[in-house]
Amino acid sequence: MTRAAALAGFLLVLLGLAVFGWKTWVYELPVLPTDPEGIWRVEMAVSVRGVGSRGSVRAPLPSTGPGQEVYDERSAADRLLFTIRTENGERTAIWRGAFDGVHEIAYGFRVRLERIETPLPTEAVRPPREIAEQYGGPTREFPSDAPEIAATLAALSLPPASDPAGRMRSVYAMVAHEVGSTEGGADDALIALANRAGSERGKTALLVTLLRGAGIPARPVLGLDLHRGATPRETPWAEAWAGGVWIPLSPAGAFFAERPSHLVALRPGSLVGVEATGAEAISYRYDALREHLRSEELAAMMVPPHRLLRAFSLYRLPVQTQSTLRLLMALPLGALIVAVFRNLVGVPTFGTFMPVLVAFALRDVPVHIGLAMVAAVIGLGVFGRLVLERLRLLLVPRLSILLCMVVLGVAAFALLGHEFERRELFTGVLFPIVILTMLIERFSIAVAEEGMRTALQRASYTLLVTVAVYPVLRDPTAEYVMFSFPELVLCIMGLLVWIGGYTGYRLFDLVRFRSFATLPGGAGAK
Amino acid sequence: MTTPLQILRALRRHGVLGINHRNAGYTLRWNPRSKYPTVDDKLLTKELCARAGIPTPKLLAFARVHFEIRKLREAIRDLDSFVLKPARGAMGNGILVVRGRDGDRYRVAGGRLLALEDLSYHAAGIISGLYALAGQSDVALVEERLEVHPEFAAITTEGVPDVRIIVFRGVPVMAMTRLPTRRSGGRANLHQGAVAAGIDLATGATTHAIQQSQPITHHPDTNEPLIGRVVPGFGVMLELAVRAADETGLGYVGADIVADAHHGPVLLEMNARPGLMIQLANHAGLLPRLRAIERGHREGRSVEQRIAEACAIAHACRP
Repeated sequence: MTRAAALAGFLLVLLGLAVFGWKTWVYELPVLPTDPEGIWRVEMAVSVRGVGSRGSVRAPLPSTGPGQEVYDERSAADRLLFTIRTENGERTAIWRGAFDGVHEIAYGFRVRLERIETPLPTEAVRPPREIAEQYGGPTREFPSDAPEIAATLAALSLPPASDPAGRMRSVYAMVAHEVGSTEGGADDALIALANRAGSERGKTALLVTLLRGAGIPARPVLGLDLHRGATPRETPWAEAWAGGVWIPLSPAGAFFAERPSHLVALRPGSLVGVEATGAEAISYRYDALREHLRSEELAAMMVPPHRLLRAFSLYRLPVQTQSTLRLLMALPLGALIVAVFRNLVGVPTFGTFMPVLVAFALRDVPVHIGLAMVAAVIGLGVFGRLVLERLRLLLVPRLSILLCMVVLGVAAFALLGHEFERRELFTGVLFPIVILTMLIERFSIAVAEEGMRTALQRASYTLLVTVAVYPVLRDPTAEYVMFSFPELVLCIMGLLVWIGGYTGYRLFDLVRFRSFATLPGGAGAK
Repeated sequence: MTTPLQILRALRRHGVLGINHRNAGYTLRWNPRSKYPTVDDKLLTKELCARAGIPTPKLLAFARVHFEIRKLREAIRDLDSFVLKPARGAMGNGILVVRGRDGDRYRVAGGRLLALEDLSYHAAGIISGLYALAGQSDVALVEERLEVHPEFAAITTEGVPDVRIIVFRGVPVMAMTRLPTRRSGGRANLHQGAVAAGIDLATGATTHAIQQSQPITHHPDTNEPLIGRVVPGFGVMLELAVRAADETGLGYVGADIVADAHHGPVLLEMNARPGLMIQLANHAGLLPRLRAIERGHREGRSVEQRIAEACAIAHACRP
């Protein structure tokens, strides 16, 4: 490689990486698609029936807090008056009015969830007065002054009050391991304790009660457990106040000082869900859907605030243009792979970019179906060519007839796909057929001129490179990275300069000239 | 079992030229793109050789467009033996060798009998660019058929053997003869199974032989020894190769020459991207010789001086 080529390649790679680094380090653009493991759209639908009496429906509303960001809220009131009441930072939705027949009310929000992990306190901190008052003392629901509670705590031989983490752990372990879970079991703390078994709510209530009894302020939290493809489930857990923060812990969900990313807290402090007054009947349910970022949100996230970088961000383009460009930006990667195969390995293929084109043609279908389709279409084409050979047609009309046959073949695939409800075959309609016609022609010329063996060998090398290129063109991560960081094309160009300047042996040279290894001596490169 | 690393070391030791190095250091560097047409188009090569007095197979007829095929048919109506080929074909593709007649039908190499219609169809395919390097429209040529020199008869069953001489900056580098076999279907194409034998530049005698990259000592069809045969008229061939290379203006070029039974050495074609198998046939790498030629390069030397230098360099670079 010449110095100039080495340097040019180096500069290109460096420039590309520099811009890439600037965007990812300074402006913290995500290197991998940030999709958004934790974005959900949650809908709550309430049906309430009444016979003319006035009343209200109340539902706990989630707020933005640790581990969750709530936004994009909307509601449907269906003839009722909708208000949101905020009390101690906790929100309640209230629909009120005269219930007349069935009212369908709805409330929806989007939430970005993250797993949270809270450090355990190393020393006791006196809780502020309002927390101690609200969550420290006994209530009807959490009778922490009951003698059974005191007896249980005494039997636990808790660590001293200066070690709140140790106390939390002992109490948590007791409720998690010594109180069984029964569906439909007791919701009451003391009954759960007496039975050594309770419902999720009962165990949570017992945990809160015991914690308060041990001098640690604690509260229950009502939340939703979100799972892809399943209806969200209301689930309770507890939070203990220690070291200045609320520490989530759940004997039922089996987490301690952390909260997994599939939980959204609806209301801290109370386990009361949706309730109604003055209604004959009420039913409600939650629905949740994993969501992706909308393109404008993605753009807002991916366009760096710097003026120069902004100017070169492809996310500023209209969505339609973006989707075309997304395909295009993956092509340099394909070209790089072809260059590696051709110039470093030495694989002979039909045409230079034929593998990229074929891979591109097949990017909408899974690889095995794609290859089967190529084989079928080539088979059809070669058969057609053999038949046409007898008619002695001139080249251009013959190629055009081949094209017609391929079009019919692709149409047959579509029909077949439709018949068997295999959409993969159906998408084959978009198969860029000219590419395949070219492939057929090259293949059949190779058969005629160099024999079936060579032709098949070359065809399999072409398909090999196609298969190597194919995942890159299909991979959403590669597409995202190339589209978000077009400067990486400079790096690819740099690598291509290096490959282009590489004058050493190809892998296939080693195979072809391997018999030199058995020859004695050698004049050497004098 | 030889490891890739051992092979790599052996290739370096022997100075074997790889494809990347050939392209970057020789064909790209020494062959200006503008000179390619004269060697890629055999009609142009022929004209060039005619001007320089270099013998080539006699051109009997040609057709540039489809309606000229009529003219071509007139020309071959009474011929018993000729070659129909594309002006811009690569690797011997699209060449039809007619060796005799059977009444109205033409007997082609390989034993098939073809009618005049078939030949016209083939010519039409050529004109449409079916066999051209880049698929562009082409010219169909009819040339006299060369005949195997008696010296080669024992090691030729089908087709016509040729001699490939690589010339670098006006100095012959390495030579081999390519012998068609039954396996290669009568074509002098090494990838299809033709035999290649390396030639000592000074004596014109064959030194080593290979088929499909494997060393052999006897012809696979006739079982005649392949080593130590002197190529008839090899000295003239070297001279033709050097003069033709000078005419084309290409710095790194392969000249394909046939020893014809009647006319002696005849230049068949020139190749601006000569292959690398010649190294296997000679059991020698090209690099040491190419570097020696580069070092000793001086302008204005006679053809004889350069051939003498080639022999000296080949001798010095023996393993």
